[in-house]
Amino acid sequence: MAELTNFGFRAGRSIPHGLDARFKLLFLVLISLASLKAGLWAMLLLSGGMLWMLSDARLSLVAVLRELRYFLILLVVVFAARALAAPGDAVFIFEPITITRQGLVDGVMVCWRLLLMVFLGLVLTATTRPADIRAAVEWILKPIPIVSAKRIGTMMGLIMRFIPVIFNQARETAEAQRARGVENRKNPAYRLTKLGIPLIRRTFENADRLIVAMESRCYSENRTGPDLMSTRRDWAALLVIITLSLLMIFL
Amino acid sequence: MIATENLSHRFSNGRLGIDGITLSIGAGEFVIIAGPNGSGKTTFIRHLNGLLKPTGGRVLLDGVDVVRDVVRARQMVGMVFQDPDSQIVGETVYGDVAFGPENLSLDRVEINKRVTESLQAVGLFHLADQRPHLLSGGEKRRLAIAGVLAMRPKVVVFDEPFSSLDYPGVQQVLQQIVSLHQSGHTILVTTHDLEKVIAHAGRLILLAGGSVVRDGQPGIVIKEAEAFGVREPCVSRLGLEVSSWLN
Repeated sequence: MAELTNFGFRAGRSIPHGLDARFKLLFLVLISLASLKAGLWAMLLLSGGMLWMLSDARLSLVAVLRELRYFLILLVVVFAARALAAPGDAVFIFEPITITRQGLVDGVMVCWRLLLMVFLGLVLTATTRPADIRAAVEWILKPIPIVSAKRIGTMMGLIMRFIPVIFNQARETAEAQRARGVENRKNPAYRLTKLGIPLIRRTFENADRLIVAMESRCYSENRTGPDLMSTRRDWAALLVIITLSLLMIFL
Repeated sequence: MIATENLSHRFSNGRLGIDGITLSIGAGEFVIIAGPNGSGKTTFIRHLNGLLKPTGGRVLLDGVDVVRDVVRARQMVGMVFQDPDSQIVGETVYGDVAFGPENLSLDRVEINKRVTESLQAVGLFHLADQRPHLLSGGEKRRLAIAGVLAMRPKVVVFDEPFSSLDYPGVQQVLQQIVSLHQSGHTILVTTHDLEKVIAHAGRLILLAGGSVVRDGQPGIVIKEAEAFGVREPCVSRLGLEVSSWLN
Protein backbone atom coordinates (compact mmCIF):
# COMPACT_ATOMS: atom_id res chain seq x y z
CA MET A 1 0.00 0.00 0.00
CA ALA A 2 1.32 3.42 -0.89
CA GLU A 3 1.72 5.90 1.89
CA LEU A 4 3.40 9.23 2.38
CA THR A 5 5.16 7.75 5.36
CA ASN A 6 5.10 4.48 7.27
CA PHE A 7 5.10 6.54 10.44
CA GLY A 8 1.43 6.99 10.89
CA PHE A 9 0.01 7.15 14.39
CA ARG A 10 0.91 4.22 16.65
CA ALA A 11 -0.99 3.82 19.87
CA GLY A 12 1.22 3.91 22.98
CA ARG A 13 1.69 5.19 26.50
CA SER A 14 4.85 7.27 26.11
CA ILE A 15 5.14 10.85 27.37
CA PRO A 16 4.76 12.34 23.84
CA HIS A 17 1.63 10.18 23.40
CA GLY A 18 0.08 11.73 26.48
CA LEU A 19 0.61 15.38 25.50
CA ASP A 20 -2.00 17.68 23.97
CA ALA A 21 -1.57 18.03 20.19
CA ARG A 22 -1.65 21.86 20.41
CA PHE A 23 1.31 21.82 22.80
CA LYS A 24 3.19 19.38 20.60
CA LEU A 25 2.76 21.68 17.58
CA LEU A 26 3.96 24.61 19.70
CA PHE A 27 6.99 22.58 20.88
CA LEU A 28 7.85 21.79 17.26
CA VAL A 29 7.82 25.49 16.39
CA LEU A 30 9.83 26.53 19.48
CA ILE A 31 12.54 23.91 19.02
CA SER A 32 12.76 24.58 15.28
CA LEU A 33 13.30 28.30 15.91
CA ALA A 34 15.77 27.71 18.76
CA SER A 35 17.79 25.25 16.68
CA LEU A 36 18.59 28.05 14.22
CA LYS A 37 20.76 29.60 16.94
CA ALA A 38 22.02 26.32 18.41
CA GLY A 39 25.74 25.54 18.63
CA LEU A 40 27.50 22.20 18.99
CA TRP A 41 26.64 21.57 22.66
CA ALA A 42 23.03 22.63 22.19
CA MET A 43 22.69 20.31 19.21
CA LEU A 44 24.16 17.45 21.25
CA LEU A 45 21.64 18.21 24.00
CA LEU A 46 18.76 18.26 21.51
CA SER A 47 19.98 15.05 19.84
CA GLY A 48 20.10 13.33 23.23
CA GLY A 49 16.55 14.49 23.93
CA MET A 50 15.46 13.25 20.51
CA LEU A 51 16.97 9.81 21.04
CA TRP A 52 15.21 9.58 24.40
CA MET A 53 11.87 10.54 22.77
CA LEU A 54 12.32 7.95 20.02
CA SER A 55 13.05 5.31 22.62
CA ASP A 56 10.15 6.40 24.83
CA ALA A 57 7.76 6.27 21.86
CA ARG A 58 9.22 2.86 20.92
CA LEU A 59 10.34 4.02 17.49
CA SER A 60 13.35 2.24 16.03
CA LEU A 61 16.17 4.59 14.99
CA VAL A 62 17.10 2.21 12.16
CA ALA A 63 13.49 2.15 10.91
CA VAL A 64 13.34 5.95 11.03
CA LEU A 65 16.60 6.26 9.07
CA ARG A 66 15.34 3.72 6.53
CA GLU A 67 12.15 5.76 6.21
CA LEU A 68 14.24 8.87 5.60
CA ARG A 69 16.59 7.31 3.03
CA TYR A 70 15.54 9.68 0.23
CA PHE A 71 15.72 12.64 2.57
CA LEU A 72 19.27 11.58 3.52
CA ILE A 73 20.23 11.83 -0.16
CA LEU A 74 18.90 15.39 -0.14
CA LEU A 75 21.00 16.09 2.96
CA VAL A 76 24.13 14.86 1.17
CA VAL A 77 23.39 17.35 -1.62
CA VAL A 78 22.84 20.15 0.91
CA PHE A 79 26.08 19.21 2.69
CA ALA A 80 28.05 19.20 -0.58
CA ALA A 81 26.61 22.56 -1.59
CA ARG A 82 27.55 24.09 1.79
CA ALA A 83 31.00 22.52 1.85
CA LEU A 84 31.81 23.79 -1.63
CA ALA A 85 30.21 27.22 -1.39
CA ALA A 86 31.35 28.58 1.97
CA PRO A 87 34.54 30.68 1.96
CA GLY A 88 37.28 29.92 4.50
CA ASP A 89 40.39 27.80 5.14
CA ALA A 90 40.85 25.27 2.36
CA VAL A 91 41.20 21.64 3.48
CA PHE A 92 40.98 20.11 -0.01
CA ILE A 93 41.78 21.73 -3.33
CA PHE A 94 41.20 20.10 -6.67
CA GLU A 95 40.85 22.97 -9.15
CA PRO A 96 38.29 24.39 -9.56
CA ILE A 97 36.83 22.66 -6.46
CA THR A 98 37.79 23.94 -3.02
CA ILE A 99 36.40 22.49 0.18
CA THR A 100 36.79 24.69 3.24
CA ARG A 101 36.83 23.82 6.95
CA GLN A 102 34.10 26.41 7.61
CA GLY A 103 32.06 24.91 4.78
CA LEU A 104 32.33 21.40 6.25
CA VAL A 105 31.32 22.64 9.72
CA ASP A 106 28.50 24.72 8.28
CA GLY A 107 27.27 21.78 6.17
CA VAL A 108 27.28 19.40 9.12
CA MET A 109 25.34 21.85 11.31
CA VAL A 110 22.71 22.62 8.66
CA CYS A 111 22.15 18.95 7.87
CA TRP A 112 22.05 18.06 11.57
CA ARG A 113 19.37 20.73 12.17
CA LEU A 114 17.29 19.61 9.23
CA LEU A 115 17.53 15.98 10.28
CA LEU A 116 16.47 16.75 13.86
CA MET A 117 13.48 18.77 12.65
CA VAL A 118 12.33 15.89 10.46
CA PHE A 119 12.82 13.50 13.39
CA LEU A 120 10.66 15.78 15.53
CA GLY A 121 7.97 15.79 12.84
CA LEU A 122 8.01 12.00 12.70
CA VAL A 123 7.72 11.75 16.48
CA LEU A 124 4.74 14.12 16.35
CA THR A 125 3.09 12.04 13.61
CA ALA A 126 3.74 8.73 15.31
CA THR A 127 2.48 9.84 18.73
CA THR A 128 -0.54 11.97 17.77
CA ARG A 129 -3.83 10.79 16.29
CA PRO A 130 -4.47 12.49 12.93
CA ALA A 131 -7.82 13.67 14.28
CA ASP A 132 -6.01 15.41 17.18
CA ILE A 133 -3.56 17.14 14.79
CA ARG A 134 -6.55 18.26 12.73
CA ALA A 135 -8.31 19.49 15.88
CA ALA A 136 -5.18 21.40 16.96
CA VAL A 137 -4.94 23.11 13.56
CA GLU A 138 -8.66 23.96 13.75
CA TRP A 139 -8.10 25.43 17.22
CA ILE A 140 -5.15 27.53 15.99
CA LEU A 141 -7.11 28.80 12.95
CA LYS A 142 -10.34 29.47 14.87
CA PRO A 143 -9.58 33.10 15.87
CA ILE A 144 -8.63 34.06 12.32
CA PRO A 145 -11.56 35.82 10.65
CA ILE A 146 -12.78 34.77 7.18
CA VAL A 147 -10.96 31.41 7.45
CA SER A 148 -13.35 28.48 8.05
CA ALA A 149 -11.34 26.40 10.51
CA LYS A 150 -13.82 23.49 10.39
CA ARG A 151 -13.67 23.34 6.60
CA ILE A 152 -9.88 23.41 6.60
CA GLY A 153 -9.87 20.69 9.28
CA THR A 154 -12.17 18.52 7.15
CA MET A 155 -9.98 19.11 4.10
CA MET A 156 -6.86 18.14 6.07
CA GLY A 157 -8.55 14.96 7.25
CA LEU A 158 -9.65 14.05 3.73
CA ILE A 159 -6.16 14.70 2.34
CA MET A 160 -4.61 12.43 4.97
CA ARG A 161 -7.24 9.80 4.20
CA PHE A 162 -7.08 9.94 0.41
CA ILE A 163 -3.41 10.45 -0.45
CA PRO A 164 -2.68 6.72 0.02
CA VAL A 165 -5.74 5.88 -2.10
CA ILE A 166 -4.58 8.19 -4.92
CA PHE A 167 -1.05 6.74 -4.73
CA ASN A 168 -2.51 3.24 -5.03
CA GLN A 169 -4.56 4.25 -8.03
CA ALA A 170 -1.50 5.82 -9.66
CA ARG A 171 0.43 2.60 -9.10
CA GLU A 172 -2.42 0.46 -10.50
CA THR A 173 -2.76 2.68 -13.57
CA ALA A 174 1.02 2.66 -14.16
CA GLU A 175 1.13 -1.15 -13.85
CA ALA A 176 -1.81 -1.56 -16.24
CA GLN A 177 -0.01 0.64 -18.77
CA ARG A 178 3.29 -1.20 -18.32
CA ALA A 179 1.41 -4.44 -18.99
CA ARG A 180 0.45 -2.91 -22.34
CA GLY A 181 4.01 -1.89 -23.20
CA VAL A 182 3.99 1.81 -22.35
CA GLU A 183 7.72 1.54 -21.56
CA ASN A 184 8.38 1.16 -25.29
CA ARG A 185 7.29 4.76 -25.67
CA LYS A 186 10.32 6.89 -24.86
CA ASN A 187 8.57 10.26 -24.89
CA PRO A 188 8.10 11.20 -21.19
CA ALA A 189 5.40 13.75 -22.04
CA TYR A 190 3.36 11.03 -23.76
CA ARG A 191 3.75 8.68 -20.80
CA LEU A 192 2.93 11.39 -18.29
CA THR A 193 -0.22 12.34 -20.21
CA LYS A 194 -1.34 8.72 -20.46
CA LEU A 195 -0.84 8.26 -16.71
CA GLY A 196 -2.13 11.65 -15.59
CA ILE A 197 -5.42 11.90 -17.46
CA PRO A 198 -6.97 8.61 -16.27
CA LEU A 199 -5.63 9.21 -12.77
CA ILE A 200 -7.19 12.67 -12.57
CA ARG A 201 -10.45 11.32 -14.02
CA ARG A 202 -10.57 8.54 -11.41
CA THR A 203 -9.71 10.97 -8.62
CA PHE A 204 -12.58 13.27 -9.61
CA GLU A 205 -14.99 10.34 -9.90
CA ASN A 206 -13.95 9.20 -6.43
CA ALA A 207 -14.44 12.76 -5.16
CA ASP A 208 -18.00 12.69 -6.53
CA ARG A 209 -18.71 9.40 -4.74
CA LEU A 210 -17.13 10.78 -1.58
CA ILE A 211 -19.43 13.81 -1.62
CA VAL A 212 -22.49 11.54 -1.91
CA ALA A 213 -21.23 9.35 0.95
CA MET A 214 -20.59 12.40 3.15
CA GLU A 215 -24.03 13.81 2.40
CA SER A 216 -25.52 10.44 3.22
CA ARG A 217 -23.95 10.71 6.68
CA CYS A 218 -25.41 14.20 7.24
CA TYR A 219 -22.16 16.13 6.67
CA SER A 220 -22.32 19.58 8.19
CA GLU A 221 -19.73 22.18 9.19
CA ASN A 222 -21.65 22.63 12.40
CA ARG A 223 -20.35 19.37 13.84
CA THR A 224 -18.89 18.17 17.10
CA GLY A 225 -15.17 18.86 17.32
CA PRO A 226 -12.66 16.63 19.09
CA ASP A 227 -11.98 17.22 22.76
CA LEU A 228 -8.68 18.96 23.40
CA MET A 229 -7.72 19.19 27.06
CA SER A 230 -4.49 20.50 28.46
CA THR A 231 -3.27 19.02 31.70
CA ARG A 232 -0.56 19.93 34.18
CA ARG A 233 1.73 17.56 32.27
CA ASP A 234 1.38 19.74 29.12
CA TRP A 235 2.29 22.90 31.05
CA ALA A 236 5.23 21.15 32.71
CA ALA A 237 6.41 19.98 29.29
CA LEU A 238 6.06 23.55 27.99
CA LEU A 239 8.32 24.75 30.82
CA VAL A 240 10.90 22.11 29.94
CA ILE A 241 10.78 22.96 26.22
CA ILE A 242 11.12 26.72 26.89
CA THR A 243 14.11 26.03 29.15
CA LEU A 244 15.62 23.73 26.53
CA SER A 245 15.06 26.33 23.81
CA LEU A 246 16.75 29.05 25.91
CA LEU A 247 19.65 26.71 26.65
CA MET A 248 19.97 25.97 22.93
CA ILE A 249 20.11 29.66 22.13
CA PHE A 250 22.59 30.67 24.85
CA LEU A 251 24.70 27.50 25.25
CA MET B 1 -42.13 2.29 7.11
CA ILE B 2 -41.06 3.14 3.53
CA ALA B 3 -43.62 4.03 0.91
CA THR B 4 -42.97 5.31 -2.58
CA GLU B 5 -45.80 6.77 -4.64
CA ASN B 6 -45.35 6.86 -8.39
CA LEU B 7 -41.65 7.65 -7.87
CA SER B 8 -39.84 8.78 -11.01
CA HIS B 9 -36.47 10.32 -11.73
CA ARG B 10 -35.28 11.79 -15.00
CA PHE B 11 -31.61 12.80 -15.15
CA SER B 12 -30.46 16.15 -16.50
CA ASN B 13 -29.42 14.49 -19.79
CA GLY B 14 -33.03 13.40 -20.31
CA ARG B 15 -32.52 9.72 -19.49
CA LEU B 16 -35.20 8.15 -17.33
CA GLY B 17 -33.63 6.50 -14.25
CA ILE B 18 -36.76 5.15 -12.59
CA ASP B 19 -40.32 5.33 -13.77
CA GLY B 20 -43.43 5.36 -11.62
CA ILE B 21 -42.36 3.04 -8.79
CA THR B 22 -45.06 2.52 -6.19
CA LEU B 23 -44.39 0.14 -3.34
CA SER B 24 -44.27 -0.08 0.43
CA ILE B 25 -41.79 -1.81 2.68
CA GLY B 26 -42.75 -2.66 6.25
CA ALA B 27 -40.60 -2.42 9.38
CA GLY B 28 -38.31 -5.41 9.85
CA GLU B 29 -38.56 -6.67 6.27
CA PHE B 30 -35.55 -8.11 4.42
CA VAL B 31 -35.92 -7.07 0.81
CA ILE B 32 -33.69 -7.74 -2.19
CA ILE B 33 -33.90 -5.35 -5.10
CA ALA B 34 -32.44 -7.09 -8.12
CA GLY B 35 -31.94 -6.12 -11.70
CA PRO B 36 -29.26 -5.89 -14.37
CA ASN B 37 -26.90 -2.92 -14.66
CA GLY B 38 -28.82 0.24 -15.54
CA SER B 39 -32.15 -1.11 -14.27
CA GLY B 40 -32.47 1.73 -11.75
CA LYS B 41 -31.53 -0.04 -8.49
CA THR B 42 -29.05 2.57 -7.28
CA THR B 43 -31.18 5.46 -8.52
CA PHE B 44 -34.14 4.07 -6.58
CA ILE B 45 -32.33 3.59 -3.26
CA ARG B 46 -30.74 7.04 -3.44
CA HIS B 47 -34.23 8.52 -3.19
CA LEU B 48 -34.83 6.78 0.12
CA ASN B 49 -32.57 9.14 2.07
CA GLY B 50 -32.83 12.18 -0.15
CA LEU B 51 -29.53 11.84 -2.00
CA LEU B 52 -31.59 12.20 -5.16
CA LYS B 53 -34.76 14.27 -5.35
CA PRO B 54 -37.65 12.78 -7.30
CA THR B 55 -38.67 14.46 -10.52
CA GLY B 56 -42.05 12.84 -10.03
CA GLY B 57 -43.88 11.21 -7.12
CA ARG B 58 -42.58 11.04 -3.56
CA VAL B 59 -40.98 8.91 -0.85
CA LEU B 60 -42.54 8.70 2.61
CA LEU B 61 -40.68 7.50 5.70
CA ASP B 62 -43.14 6.73 8.48
CA GLY B 63 -45.55 9.04 6.67
CA VAL B 64 -43.16 12.00 6.34
CA ASP B 65 -41.99 13.08 2.89
CA VAL B 66 -38.21 12.64 2.60
CA VAL B 67 -37.82 15.98 0.82
CA ARG B 68 -39.40 17.79 3.76
CA ASP B 69 -36.81 16.58 6.27
CA VAL B 70 -33.69 15.25 4.62
CA VAL B 71 -31.59 15.08 7.82
CA ARG B 72 -34.23 12.88 9.47
CA ALA B 73 -34.31 10.67 6.37
CA ARG B 74 -30.53 10.27 6.42
CA GLN B 75 -30.60 9.30 10.08
CA MET B 76 -33.42 6.83 9.51
CA VAL B 77 -32.02 5.27 6.34
CA GLY B 78 -28.35 4.36 6.51
CA MET B 79 -26.66 3.58 3.22
CA VAL B 80 -23.68 1.32 2.61
CA PHE B 81 -22.26 2.07 -0.81
CA GLN B 82 -20.75 -0.25 -3.37
CA ASP B 83 -17.22 1.15 -3.13
CA PRO B 84 -16.12 1.39 0.52
CA ASP B 85 -12.94 3.27 -0.43
CA SER B 86 -15.07 6.22 -1.49
CA GLN B 87 -17.30 5.98 1.57
CA ILE B 88 -14.69 5.86 4.32
CA VAL B 89 -13.72 9.42 5.21
CA GLY B 90 -11.87 9.05 8.53
CA GLU B 91 -8.10 8.99 8.94
CA THR B 92 -8.56 6.10 11.36
CA VAL B 93 -11.19 3.40 11.82
CA TYR B 94 -12.43 5.14 14.97
CA GLY B 95 -12.47 8.54 13.27
CA ASP B 96 -14.51 7.22 10.38
CA VAL B 97 -17.24 5.73 12.56
CA ALA B 98 -17.35 8.97 14.58
CA PHE B 99 -17.89 11.03 11.41
CA GLY B 100 -21.70 10.54 11.28
CA PRO B 101 -22.43 11.18 14.99
CA GLU B 102 -20.16 14.26 14.88
CA ASN B 103 -22.27 15.59 12.00
CA LEU B 104 -25.33 15.16 14.20
CA SER B 105 -23.60 17.45 16.77
CA LEU B 106 -23.89 14.83 19.51
CA ASP B 107 -21.81 15.30 22.64
CA ARG B 108 -18.46 13.55 22.84
CA VAL B 109 -19.58 11.00 25.47
CA GLU B 110 -22.47 9.86 23.27
CA ILE B 111 -20.21 9.78 20.20
CA ASN B 112 -17.67 7.59 21.98
CA LYS B 113 -20.46 5.27 23.17
CA ARG B 114 -21.92 4.90 19.68
CA VAL B 115 -18.53 4.37 18.04
CA THR B 116 -17.56 1.71 20.57
CA GLU B 117 -20.89 -0.12 20.18
CA SER B 118 -20.78 0.04 16.38
CA LEU B 119 -17.19 -1.19 16.15
CA GLN B 120 -17.96 -4.02 18.56
CA ALA B 121 -21.05 -4.95 16.53
CA VAL B 122 -18.96 -5.46 13.38
CA GLY B 123 -15.95 -6.95 15.21
CA LEU B 124 -13.52 -4.15 14.39
CA PHE B 125 -13.00 -2.61 17.82
CA HIS B 126 -9.47 -4.02 18.03
CA LEU B 127 -8.61 -2.06 14.86
CA ALA B 128 -9.91 1.29 16.14
CA ASP B 129 -6.57 3.07 15.60
CA GLN B 130 -5.83 1.39 12.27
CA ARG B 131 -5.67 3.46 9.08
CA PRO B 132 -8.65 2.45 6.89
CA HIS B 133 -6.73 1.85 3.67
CA LEU B 134 -4.77 -0.91 5.40
CA LEU B 135 -7.94 -2.97 6.01
CA SER B 136 -8.97 -5.92 3.85
CA GLY B 137 -11.95 -5.66 1.48
CA GLY B 138 -14.29 -7.40 3.95
CA GLU B 139 -13.07 -5.25 6.84
CA LYS B 140 -13.64 -2.08 4.80
CA ARG B 141 -17.25 -3.12 4.12
CA ARG B 142 -17.72 -3.84 7.84
CA LEU B 143 -16.24 -0.44 8.66
CA ALA B 144 -18.69 1.18 6.25
CA ILE B 145 -21.50 -0.71 8.04
CA ALA B 146 -20.21 0.48 11.43
CA GLY B 147 -20.17 4.06 10.14
CA VAL B 148 -23.84 3.71 9.24
CA LEU B 149 -24.78 1.91 12.49
CA ALA B 150 -23.38 4.79 14.55
CA MET B 151 -26.16 6.94 13.09
CA ARG B 152 -28.69 4.51 14.68
CA PRO B 153 -30.75 3.99 11.51
CA LYS B 154 -33.97 1.97 11.38
CA VAL B 155 -33.34 0.97 7.78
CA VAL B 156 -30.00 -0.12 6.34
CA VAL B 157 -29.60 -0.14 2.56
CA PHE B 158 -26.75 -2.06 0.96
CA ASP B 159 -25.80 -1.22 -2.62
CA GLU B 160 -24.12 -4.27 -4.20
CA PRO B 161 -22.52 -5.27 -0.89
CA PHE B 162 -20.69 -8.34 -2.23
CA SER B 163 -18.96 -6.87 -5.27
CA SER B 164 -15.18 -7.47 -5.38
CA LEU B 165 -15.21 -9.61 -2.23
CA ASP B 166 -13.70 -13.06 -1.83
CA TYR B 167 -15.65 -15.89 -0.19
CA PRO B 168 -14.63 -15.08 3.42
CA GLY B 169 -15.35 -11.40 2.74
CA VAL B 170 -18.83 -12.24 1.45
CA GLN B 171 -19.49 -14.38 4.52
CA GLN B 172 -18.35 -11.62 6.89
CA VAL B 173 -20.56 -9.01 5.26
CA LEU B 174 -23.52 -11.40 4.93
CA GLN B 175 -23.21 -12.28 8.61
CA GLN B 176 -23.40 -8.59 9.47
CA ILE B 177 -26.46 -8.08 7.28
CA VAL B 178 -28.24 -11.06 8.84
CA SER B 179 -27.32 -9.90 12.37
CA LEU B 180 -28.71 -6.45 11.64
CA HIS B 181 -31.95 -7.96 10.39
CA GLN B 182 -32.19 -10.15 13.49
CA SER B 183 -31.70 -7.10 15.69
CA GLY B 184 -34.79 -5.50 14.15
CA HIS B 185 -33.42 -3.38 11.30
CA THR B 186 -35.23 -3.19 8.00
CA ILE B 187 -32.81 -4.39 5.34
CA LEU B 188 -32.70 -3.53 1.65
CA VAL B 189 -30.03 -5.11 -0.53
CA THR B 190 -29.50 -4.28 -4.19
CA THR B 191 -27.73 -6.94 -6.23
CA HIS B 192 -27.63 -8.70 -9.55
CA ASP B 193 -26.14 -11.77 -7.88
CA LEU B 194 -29.01 -13.39 -5.98
CA GLU B 195 -27.27 -16.58 -4.91
CA LYS B 196 -25.30 -15.03 -2.04
CA VAL B 197 -28.19 -13.48 -0.16
CA ILE B 198 -31.53 -14.84 -1.40
CA ALA B 199 -31.72 -17.50 1.35
CA HIS B 200 -32.16 -14.77 3.97
CA ALA B 201 -34.63 -12.49 2.19
CA GLY B 202 -38.36 -12.39 2.72
CA ARG B 203 -39.14 -10.46 -0.46
CA LEU B 204 -37.63 -10.06 -3.91
CA ILE B 205 -38.28 -7.06 -6.13
CA LEU B 206 -37.11 -7.16 -9.75
CA LEU B 207 -36.41 -3.92 -11.57
CA ALA B 208 -36.02 -3.56 -15.31
CA GLY B 209 -35.86 -0.36 -17.31
CA GLY B 210 -36.48 1.70 -14.17
CA SER B 211 -39.78 -0.02 -13.28
CA VAL B 212 -40.80 -2.76 -10.87
CA VAL B 213 -41.52 -5.82 -13.00
CA ARG B 214 -41.93 -8.44 -10.26
CA ASP B 215 -42.45 -8.16 -6.49
CA GLY B 216 -43.10 -11.07 -4.18
CA GLN B 217 -41.85 -14.16 -2.37
CA PRO B 218 -38.24 -14.93 -3.37
CA GLY B 219 -39.03 -18.58 -4.07
CA ILE B 220 -41.64 -17.58 -6.64
CA VAL B 221 -40.11 -14.44 -8.18
CA ILE B 222 -36.70 -16.07 -8.60
CA LYS B 223 -38.11 -18.41 -11.26
CA GLU B 224 -38.76 -15.41 -13.52
CA ALA B 225 -35.50 -13.58 -12.79
CA GLU B 226 -33.66 -14.65 -15.94
CA ALA B 227 -36.34 -13.14 -18.15
CA PHE B 228 -35.29 -9.77 -16.70
CA GLY B 229 -31.51 -10.19 -16.91
CA VAL B 230 -30.82 -11.59 -13.44
CA ARG B 231 -29.24 -15.03 -13.16
CA GLU B 232 -31.25 -17.66 -11.31
CA PRO B 233 -29.03 -19.56 -8.85
CA CYS B 234 -28.00 -23.04 -10.07
CA VAL B 235 -29.66 -24.92 -7.22
CA SER B 236 -32.92 -23.10 -7.90
CA ARG B 237 -32.75 -24.15 -11.56
CA LEU B 238 -32.41 -27.73 -10.37
CA GLY B 239 -35.53 -27.30 -8.28
CA LEU B 240 -33.66 -27.32 -4.97
CA GLU B 241 -33.87 -24.80 -2.16
CA VAL B 242 -31.10 -22.17 -2.16
CA SER B 243 -28.99 -22.57 0.97
CA SER B 244 -27.30 -19.84 2.94
CA TRP B 245 -23.69 -18.91 2.24
CA LEU B 246 -23.23 -18.87 5.99
CA ASN B 247 -23.70 -22.63 6.28
